[in-house]
Amino acid sequence: MSAEPLLEVDDLSVRFDTDEGPVQAVDRVSFALAPGEVLGIVGESGCGKSVTCMSLVRLLPETAKVSGSVRFGGADLLALGPRRLRRVRGREISYIFQEPMTSLNPVFTVGDQIGEVVRRHLDLSRRDARRRAVELLQLVRIPAPQRRVDEYPHQLSGGMRQRVMIAMALACDPKVLIADEPTTALDVTIQAGILDLMREVREKLGTAIVLVTHNLGVVADIADRVIVMYAGRKVEEAPAAELFAAPQHPYTVGLLGAIPRPGERRERLEEIPGRVPASARPLEHCVFADRCRYADETTRTQVPDLRPVRPGHLVACFHPEAERAA
Amino acid sequence: MSIVAQDVERPRVADSRRRLRVLGKRFLRRPMAVGGLLVVLAFVVVAIFAPLLAPFGVGHTDFNAVLAKPSSKHLLGTDDLGRDELSRLIWGTRASMQVGVLATLLAMVVAVPIGMLAGYYRGWVDHVIARLTDVLLAFPFLILAVGLAAILGPSLLNVTLALGIGSIPGFIRIARGETLALREADYVPAAVLNGANDATIIFRHILPNMTNTLIVQATVTIPGAILGEAILSFLNLGPQPPAVSWGTMLQEAEPYLTQAQRLAVYPGVAIILAVLAFNVLGDGLRDVLDPRTTR
Repeated sequence: MSAEPLLEVDDLSVRFDTDEGPVQAVDRVSFALAPGEVLGIVGESGCGKSVTCMSLVRLLPETAKVSGSVRFGGADLLALGPRRLRRVRGREISYIFQEPMTSLNPVFTVGDQIGEVVRRHLDLSRRDARRRAVELLQLVRIPAPQRRVDEYPHQLSGGMRQRVMIAMALACDPKVLIADEPTTALDVTIQAGILDLMREVREKLGTAIVLVTHNLGVVADIADRVIVMYAGRKVEEAPAAELFAAPQHPYTVGLLGAIPRPGERRERLEEIPGRVPASARPLEHCVFADRCRYADETTRTQVPDLRPVRPGHLVACFHPEAERAA
Repeated sequence: MSIVAQDVERPRVADSRRRLRVLGKRFLRRPMAVGGLLVVLAFVVVAIFAPLLAPFGVGHTDFNAVLAKPSSKHLLGTDDLGRDELSRLIWGTRASMQVGVLATLLAMVVAVPIGMLAGYYRGWVDHVIARLTDVLLAFPFLILAVGLAAILGPSLLNVTLALGIGSIPGFIRIARGETLALREADYVPAAVLNGANDATIIFRHILPNMTNTLIVQATVTIPGAILGEAILSFLNLGPQPPAVSWGTMLQEAEPYLTQAQRLAVYPGVAIILAVLAFNVLGDGLRDVLDPRTTR
């Protein structure tokens, strides 16, 4: 895991200039992704996790002002020309969307759509592309792939469509797979199947995965390392096991406290008081200050830097759990 | 491996056939549409095989039978120059269908890419194209076509051009509107992230999704052009003798309306039938191709 990082995000900021003024969606976020690693990004709706991922592959509209750098394979993805960018998209970095129901083109068979990707990037013949499509459907465990390859999206269930999307994303053996809430639109049982599949993909193909979710259970299940985002900032980063065992940021502690655990009788799940600040302009203090029970003068006047509390465990807080206990 | 390969090939055919069969069944449940299709097919067959079907050539005259009533030799009678009316109707079918189909094709080929560019790229491209379209649309279709035909000079080709150009703005609007809607579909960013370039997205992902709409618009434009040809020819802007179309037949029948009404009735009925058939067929196709249709 200490190998040369595959993807290195440095000081990534995204700002949208809207009619109501600028909105800072992502605020100086940095992280690295090692080959074969599963990195979870968690946070509630609107915390900037999807925007972060979309900016990695430059999918944001032109109104978004993106700064910082995304180093991948010796180049900065944010500065890449359109032609080279297209060679990275789908070939080196693939993306899976939240909505499998509508992300497939209704007028083509799934075989055609998977085939299109491999023919574009790998220059295969029609025949080979079809064989590859069947192979991929098999890989993502779709039963009777020889038959399914000729079906149209409307003939498949949601779970199967998500499997097809994953097959398409894996078509060219990408190094990085970005999955933006891949299981949110699916049934719980189907979710488990998709997660199993992603784990298998990582093991078989060695694909590094960036998994965006608001579901901590999903993260616990599959991620090696977790980034917790809040209001556009990275507030904590830790190996998954450690994050769940010893969360440091009060926000993370709050998130974990809000998970129902079967068998445990509690009067009421704990919620985090207050609301996410509207990320209108960069705040000059800790973003969580208004909702934090440990907030004090420092918290309200200064921005906490990310600092290690343990090797590999970073937290942006003046009063992390570890120090309070001491 | 060969067994697997066979397995792979067979269902493909079966599946597209199944889809066609479903669409076919839906179509057959609509008697009006089926009737429309049959009439349209009949006209197309007549147009294609005109040289075989017409008893006489285009310019053939029989001075022993001028303005003759229908007889065994001239089934529909003859006109003021002794030309066989049945033959003229058949040759006219060819010309009129040709104008209708070619003008529509011309409009589609020119307008669809332009409309899609406007809808896909938006911004100033869209502004320029949309405003120019508005300018063209400000002229009523016929005024525009008459003006163009007058400038180009009377001939079948020029009538086709005039009517084709006149039909462009409508197609641009439709292609633009459909593209605006379809570019927001989730499979567009999905394709972008798979490395597709703009051309692939426009022609492979957006265009096929609007074929239904285009087919229906074509079934409206073809009869429009057929009618337009008749009107232009009636104004003497159409093909010149000995060339014949339904419009020229009408125009040449006009001086004899009191003596031989049938000369105007034949092309008139043909025009009505063709226009009606295309419209009914278009309505049927629209219902059948609409994915929300279940019947």
